Amino acid sequence: MSYLFDPANWQWLITDRDVLFILEGFLVNLEIAAIAIVVSLIFGLFLALARISTLRPMSLVAGLWIDLWRNLPLIFMILYFALAMPQDWREAYESIVPAFFPEALRSGRVLAALSALILYNSAVLAEIMRSGISSLERGQGEAAASLGLTYSQSMRLIILPQGLRRMVPATVSQLITLNKDTTLVSIIAIQEVMRHGRIVTSSNFFGGVQAPVLQVFIFIGLLFIVVNLLLSRLSRRLELRERKRTGTTLRRVSGLEDQVAAESDLRSGY
Amino acid sequence: MSGLWGVLQEHFPELLAGFLVTIRLVAIAFVIAMVVGAVVAALRISPSKWLQRIGGVYVETFRNIPLLVLLFISFAGLRRAGVPITPWIAGTASLGLYTAAYVAEALRSGAFAVGKGQIDAALSLGFSYASALRRIVIPQAFRSVIPTIGSLVIAMIRNSAIVGVSLLALPDLLKEARIIQSRTFETGEVFFWAAIGYLVLTLTATVAFRLLERRFEVRR
Repeated sequence: MSYLFDPANWQWLITDRDVLFILEGFLVNLEIAAIAIVVSLIFGLFLALARISTLRPMSLVAGLWIDLWRNLPLIFMILYFALAMPQDWREAYESIVPAFFPEALRSGRVLAALSALILYNSAVLAEIMRSGISSLERGQGEAAASLGLTYSQSMRLIILPQGLRRMVPATVSQLITLNKDTTLVSIIAIQEVMRHGRIVTSSNFFGGVQAPVLQVFIFIGLLFIVVNLLLSRLSRRLELRERKRTGTTLRRVSGLEDQVAAESDLRSGY
Repeated sequence: MSGLWGVLQEHFPELLAGFLVTIRLVAIAFVIAMVVGAVVAALRISPSKWLQRIGGVYVETFRNIPLLVLLFISFAGLRRAGVPITPWIAGTASLGLYTAAYVAEALRSGAFAVGKGQIDAALSLGFSYASALRRIVIPQAFRSVIPTIGSLVIAMIRNSAIVGVSLLALPDLLKEARIIQSRTFETGEVFFWAAIGYLVLTLTATVAFRLLERRFEVRR
């Protein structure tokens, strides 16, 4: 305890550029999460549509695809893609990456990391969307059909607008998991917060004192806790509003850690 | 020798050893998660405001922090601080304490589902608060949280892979696959078998918990 609270071990917070360097790394994590969630939402929508399709083989294949990526460890996928992705894919990524992207996101390895994050999250989001859509009453689709709307019209105009609204809170919850998962890309040497933490603790990087590992990583942990707490508060508020509006409760998607927490917060009227 | 079967034949012992390490890691962490999770859930539903708050801080801390950060704190951090912690202790404790936050939330929501009326009834019959929890609330809550615990076990199996490739370097399934890959460069084949290993574990857990759920189903 005396080690933990010894002021000498917190000196690095004010003396060097360490804090700034760590925050720069943390920003990379948030950027990776932002890119991954946007792309995953688009892919996830197509996966969900395939999954609920009335075409049996299509929904079967989509279901297998979703289950495969949801059941493999994410770190396994990141590592595999980093090792197995062809060189010309990486070069293609490096040549098309927009110039406004930060330095750390322009290396070809980022493509491997993003692919893994997107495959996993789009599968999860597809399940969330499916449960949002299937929580709608059957009557909605039947009413649309009886009004003479085609399948695609009733999807576009009736089912999706309502179903997707219901998945917004669960998506924000998934963003919490995604934020935490971005630390895993440090394993394939992408320069984000974990890497920056290791740099400031391992050498006299800025010519100052070597920062202590315990304190630096507690600080990094706190960064995640603050951002994720804000997100979970947002998710809870959205869910309560949605519940008031429609009178429905959150449908759980199995295998999701963070939905466990989100659901019990609601039950207790947190 | 190469090809899928060749790689399996040649490296079966290492892959099996890693598979067993993964199982052991998850099993120990599961016990920690259930015990700590039950204690934290009890804190969160206790009558004391302060105990509730302590439980709440635990849950919010451990479910918002990345597991990899916990592993750094508990292994590299404590080591540098002079605590002689082993990779096994750091790995199982991190994974267990991390999951315990989710277990606590699941148990708490299960306890709320039981309903306050039952506790009131038990108390009025002369049960102490502890024995009302133990004999009335927990047996019913347990039943309703089986599916959730199943989800958490699957999440644990997937998260356990983080332990091996982090600084701790426990020789679990992913770590063994990585070692073989770096020696032989048979990336696709080795990772294929590791993926099969993980899928076997998660699917077994899925089926086991579905059976358990059916076994404890309440017919009303």
